[in-house]
Amino acid sequence: MPPVNGTFCVTVMKDRCINAGMPGKCATCVQVCPYDVYAMDATGHVRVANYNACVGCRICAEFCPQDAIRINPAESEFLVRSPWTFPQVEEIHQKAQTGQYALRGFGAMGFAPSFDNITVVPSQIASPAPLDKYREECDMEVVIGEDSCERPIQMQYPLFFAAMSFGAVSREARMALAIGAAQTGIMSNTGEGGLLKDETWLIKGYENEERTLKRWEPGGHLVVQWSTGRWGVSAGYVRAGDGVEIKIGQGAKPGMGGHLLGAKVTEEIAAVRGIPVGSDALSPCRYYDARNLEDMKHMVDVLRDVTGYRVPILFKLGPSRPYEDVKACVEAGADAVSIDGLVGGTGASPAVVTQGVGIPTLALIPPAVRALREMGVHHKVKLFILGGMRNGLDAYKAMAMGADGVGFGAAAEIAMGCRACMACHTGRCPYGITSQDPELRARLDPEEAGQRLANFIKATAEEIKILTMLSGHGDIRDLSEEDLRAMDVNTAAITGLKLVGYERRLPWWEDGRNQLHVG
Amino acid sequence: MSIAMGASRRDLVTVARPPGARPVLVGTGRSLRAINGQLREVALNGSVIVREVSHLNGLAAGLTGGEVVIESDSGDYLAVLNDGATVRLIGDAGCYLADNMTRGTVIVEGDAGYAAAPYCYGGTVVIKGDAGDFTAVMNKGATVLVQGNAGDDVATYMLDGDVVIVGNAGKNLGNYLIRGSIYVGGEWQSLGHNTRLEGMTEADLAKLRGYFDKYSIKADPAAFHKIGRLSEKPFYKAKAPAQPDSLAK
Repeated sequence: MPPVNGTFCVTVMKDRCINAGMPGKCATCVQVCPYDVYAMDATGHVRVANYNACVGCRICAEFCPQDAIRINPAESEFLVRSPWTFPQVEEIHQKAQTGQYALRGFGAMGFAPSFDNITVVPSQIASPAPLDKYREECDMEVVIGEDSCERPIQMQYPLFFAAMSFGAVSREARMALAIGAAQTGIMSNTGEGGLLKDETWLIKGYENEERTLKRWEPGGHLVVQWSTGRWGVSAGYVRAGDGVEIKIGQGAKPGMGGHLLGAKVTEEIAAVRGIPVGSDALSPCRYYDARNLEDMKHMVDVLRDVTGYRVPILFKLGPSRPYEDVKACVEAGADAVSIDGLVGGTGASPAVVTQGVGIPTLALIPPAVRALREMGVHHKVKLFILGGMRNGLDAYKAMAMGADGVGFGAAAEIAMGCRACMACHTGRCPYGITSQDPELRARLDPEEAGQRLANFIKATAEEIKILTMLSGHGDIRDLSEEDLRAMDVNTAAITGLKLVGYERRLPWWEDGRNQLHVG
Repeated sequence: MSIAMGASRRDLVTVARPPGARPVLVGTGRSLRAINGQLREVALNGSVIVREVSHLNGLAAGLTGGEVVIESDSGDYLAVLNDGATVRLIGDAGCYLADNMTRGTVIVEGDAGYAAAPYCYGGTVVIKGDAGDFTAVMNKGATVLVQGNAGDDVATYMLDGDVVIVGNAGKNLGNYLIRGSIYVGGEWQSLGHNTRLEGMTEADLAKLRGYFDKYSIKADPAAFHKIGRLSEKPFYKAKAPAQPDSLAK
């Protein structure tokens, strides 16, 4: 028995259809449809005789020699056919035909606990009066490694660009990120694909290698990543950074190493990474040179030593056990810890991992903050949140929950011009951001994209400023959970925020029983 | 001998030595920062002897030249990120010897622990004794010589370079080998994925003879077997990327 009547719209494009031009010729759709959706009359004309009988199998479209038929759901496929939506069916067909699982980039899609279920509480008469965004100042600076190194990172805004390696993104995209960071005084991060010479001076605002022509103020900060594949890493690489980030995991594929598929490994990238052209660069899922926390402490010591105790050491975590993992990072000697949520992930990954592995971004923050508070280093060891961050509102909420700032990966790519088609791993990015094809790369102007990134960061910072000041603060460090309310019970349960209407935290947060999971 | 920046004369512990002899640093009770700070300054100008440093992890990190002779066992991460120095250890090495080396030479007269010479891009590591599991893992261009036996998973995911084991090797040798060569004088328990036995060529024999002569290793190149890769691309089967004309071969 067919599903609900009228579920599918059947469209035949007459200008393409052979039968429409030559009645009597071609009745393929009539022949292949087992539900009599189509019929041919005595004059040889084919028509759609019974729309309601269509079950959405699309065999008519598949067999039509002119590609003249479109079958579209009249209502969302998710509503009428879930879990057997057309994309799901196609994915199974793909596996059945090729024996290979699906890969994609751009993070988890669909429903996950979200910042959208939190609202900001403005100041009125019972709380300190709001501040004036137009005529008063708001301090948004974030300093990393203030007490631990000679040259701390001083970011103008609590925002940064997430790690995206040369290889995963194009040379032009890396340059644009450097230019964007230079104009806004924030961090960019090499990822684990090695260092481009150009970005070392671009990020300081210079347009030439000799560093005589300063073009972009105030200049940004380049963090070099130390990871499990160790692509393009040397003593010189480590010393070239304003900070070193030890990558443990990432949102796209926690528990797995980075994947740079062979389609993107050009001669230039192969030279940087030390692998054959076209070969997949698959980073190990764990460090071969650190098997436990003691080793990790020694690794931090070594990196501090090789960099002359000048720059901060950061950690990057995937979304696993935020409370325990953050504590381990602090024990290892981190100056900052970034956690990437389930929603995050610009990198290519098996689709099932991107979609189904890890803790949602929102749920990472309370345990991570609790860990830092218990160790007495909250706001001293900086906590950064990544994974689906879109704007100043998300950033404000994360910071009011206890983070020191947020990172943008996908949003940064979108700011450069990306349309979120999720095909980054194919190497055919039409905007030249995640492609290594010279023709496609030529479509991305690093200066223009860098300006767009800077504009995005400045606008986002203004949003944070607006929200901070309307809630009565002149410094982002004064934000707190009291500035937020959860709008549903689930969000209140996950975050420990007060529930709207109830105006209290849920009981298990109020009496401290939420601490039980620790032990 | 000058004193490194930030170190006081009191920090510099030396032993009596004749005029013109190499300076000697003694590490007893001293921190990694203090010893490595001095090494960076002293080793660049010549050769230095170091003693009593087995408590230090990361000794001789990131050196760009000079010679360091260590007359004791070492901790982990000896000569990590070495970029041009010659480091000779008269003793046993801990784990992660010469981690991520790019240039230079590291010679261990004794045994080396887990994952010796991981992630190296260049240079030479010589281990006169035995080496542990995961030796030369993800080697990207270094030459790694083990005069004794080596453990399991040696040269896992090697991307370039030579690994020579004069003695026996363990299980899973050369697992997912991408490029480079493995030479074994003894026996191995099992080969890893993407490996195959290859015939020894005249060039291979000459290369091994050169290594053995240079590092005084007594072995007959003719008795060695060579292991190479099966496929350059054993994981995903995507097409090779388009190359600009200027890069096309």
